[in-house]
Amino acid sequence: MHKLRFVLLLLAMAVVAPLALLVGAGPASAADGSGEDRVVRVGTEGTYPPFTFEDPDTGDLTGYDVDVVKAVAQEAGWRLEFATSPFDAIFGSLDSGRIDVVANQITINPEREARYRFSEPYTYSRGVIVTAADDDSITTLADLKGKTTAQSETSNWSQVAKDAGAKVENVEQFSQAATLLAQGRVDAIVNDNIAVLDYLETSGSDEVKIAGYAGDDVGEQALTFRKDAPQLQREADQALETLRADGTLARLSEKYFGTDVSSEASTEIDLQGDRSATTWEVLRSTAGPMLWGAVKGTIPLTVISFVIGLALALVVALGRLSSSRLANVPARVFVSIIRGTPLLAQLFIVYFGLGQIGLKLDPYVAATVAFSLNVAGYAAEIIRGAILSVPRGQFEAATSIGMDRRLTMRRVVLPQAARIAVPPLGNTLLSLIKDTSLAAVVLVPELFRAAVSAASTSFEYLPLYLLAAFYYWVICFLVSLAQEPLERRLGRYVS
Amino acid sequence: MTRPLIEVRGLRKAFDGTEVLRDVSFTVDEGSVTAVLGPSGSGKSTLLRSLNVLEQPDAGVVRIADASIDFGSFDDLGKAEQKRELAALRARSGMVFQSHHLFPHMTVLQNLTEGPVRVQGRPAGEAEADAHRLLEQVGLADRGSAYPSQLSGGQQQRVGIARALALNPQVVLLDEPTSALDPELVGEVLGVVRDLATRGWTLVIVTHEVRFARDVADQVLFLDGGVIAEQGGPDVLRDPQHERTRQFLSRVLEAR
Ligand SMILES: Nc1ncnc2c1ncn2[C@@H]1O[C@H](COP(=O)(O)OP(=O)(O)OP(=O)(O)O)[C@@H](O)[C@H]1O
Ligand SMILES: [Mg+2]
Repeated sequence: MHKLRFVLLLLAMAVVAPLALLVGAGPASAADGSGEDRVVRVGTEGTYPPFTFEDPDTGDLTGYDVDVVKAVAQEAGWRLEFATSPFDAIFGSLDSGRIDVVANQITINPEREARYRFSEPYTYSRGVIVTAADDDSITTLADLKGKTTAQSETSNWSQVAKDAGAKVENVEQFSQAATLLAQGRVDAIVNDNIAVLDYLETSGSDEVKIAGYAGDDVGEQALTFRKDAPQLQREADQALETLRADGTLARLSEKYFGTDVSSEASTEIDLQGDRSATTWEVLRSTAGPMLWGAVKGTIPLTVISFVIGLALALVVALGRLSSSRLANVPARVFVSIIRGTPLLAQLFIVYFGLGQIGLKLDPYVAATVAFSLNVAGYAAEIIRGAILSVPRGQFEAATSIGMDRRLTMRRVVLPQAARIAVPPLGNTLLSLIKDTSLAAVVLVPELFRAAVSAASTSFEYLPLYLLAAFYYWVICFLVSLAQEPLERRLGRYVS
Repeated sequence: MTRPLIEVRGLRKAFDGTEVLRDVSFTVDEGSVTAVLGPSGSGKSTLLRSLNVLEQPDAGVVRIADASIDFGSFDDLGKAEQKRELAALRARSGMVFQSHHLFPHMTVLQNLTEGPVRVQGRPAGEAEADAHRLLEQVGLADRGSAYPSQLSGGQQQRVGIARALALNPQVVLLDEPTSALDPELVGEVLGVVRDLATRGWTLVIVTHEVRFARDVADQVLFLDGGVIAEQGGPDVLRDPQHERTRQFLSRVLEAR
């Protein structure tokens, strides 16, 4: 991945730097500039375990949020400087530019979104109801009516419990509440799953359990930036994506909470108390999303890119065949560039590269553009070869019956070229189907992406990627089935 | 004395500086058969292709019926006018190629209707009726739905002739229509050509079939080194005046 980033950087520089120079729009402020080893200042409380706190033994700043921002920095090439401050002062520091990013379990909400810029979430939380391990009578908020709960007074969960019709006993800390619950002095606790998981992990208690959800809302916590720092946010998003894909986020989360809270799927708490799903369950629950990814992502991406690519290819092929240098040279250069550079680099240039100089494309659009251009480059040569393989006599015969160039192409040359071109174009299509998996890297929701995100939470790499491979094979197999009759039809005149 | 159907004057053509046609002039009367003979490389094909402007001559005039182009000043014309003149002259002649050049992806019938329908814009039904009639004329009434690859060489060439006729040209140009064929297939094609002659078609045919030329031709052009070395009625082939012609004829007749 690092090597890839390096190559990408070189390519992006080669392609984008001259452009940026031309339009005189280099990267803006120091805080939002790009390049290795920029100092990025992080604001965090340092007193909020297990998210951000000082290690009692070493005095070093540590915690889930601290580790996440450190990992992001390593991916993005930032040098971090931490500044601890009380929660109340953190946003002021961000506003005034004393810090560049907040890593402090900041929950995304509409008011904050209006003022700040958030990265992709790295924590997903959800309200849960905790009961004694042997109590099956409470699973929803409705079940709390008339029951007693233990809540810390200032928490908004206290209000949630009251709204549900429960009596509330005030406590200082979650551990106190858990003790009351274990002793049977209260019936339940309402809190967010992360606090509960943290308690279960650190105490090792098996006297209480998560019995159900307290409502449907999912809270999302993310790194927070100033509005004027889109570059930092983009780099953080890229880094988080990598960390998610390579399992780093999940590992950090496991370290502090004993489970993965870094993905939305993790809010689907296994209420039976058995936290890790079996391989079979993972496969069953991912097969659907993968199929959906194929139907919504892979297949339309393939079809649209192939159709646009073929149309472009025909134009480029005719350009290559033209005697006019004005048409010939650009077509030749285009083909050479497309065939001489990696598809992944092309995709990154379109998505990240153009994004950097202001042309921010939706991932789906960017992928379609990149794949279409790629198909055009390869198919152009196939079509050109096919046209050249049509005997000269065919052009002459068409001319002698009065056809002009257009009609000759349309009625005589292209139908014959099609027969020659279909088998190699079939290969191009099969390659494209498989290549669309690269779109997962720029977050297009397609088949492979579904496998990647499922794997990052379940760690079932082998079965999930085998299943993904199987899906691709099925699609390719069906396409190759359709190819045969098409070839037969186009070649029916050949005895 | 009526005006000849075809008039060629001062035709010149060079490929890469090598003159292939040097000041060629002749006329062709309506309803006559002109046989063009000559050694290989003498410019016979180039001459025939110039009449259909598959090859653009460097200088000279080609007139077929009411369409004519003066190639000496052709390059001075605008693109649109060039296109119009080319189309007009081309429409006066139908071309039969040595290796037929039928459209392999179309049936025999489609090969015949393609020009009339797509180029001349005639109704498909009408063009098909004509095509059926032409196929009958060349003895292939039942092969309309076949693809060219399903026919013998002789049949393919007969379709090639029918395709040229389908556009109803003033003259049919045939460039060695039998020399790519196995000897036993030559007869059927020459039979069709002979039939065209008796039906009154104007034909210009490049051929090595001396006997056939002697029987059918009204006019013989003997081409050598890009000039017409000898010209006259079919008797020229019995009693050539020029040494080159004599040599050529004896060689060709020996080879048979
Ligand atoms: N497109 C071309 N480019 C260059 N030279 C050509 C071209 N067409 C014909 N020639 C040359 O012109 C000369 C005459 O060719 P042409 O085909 O007219 O001869 P021909 O009398 O038909 O010969 P054959 O009996 O072999 O068919 C030959 O030397 C040939 O090589
Ligand atoms: Mg020839």
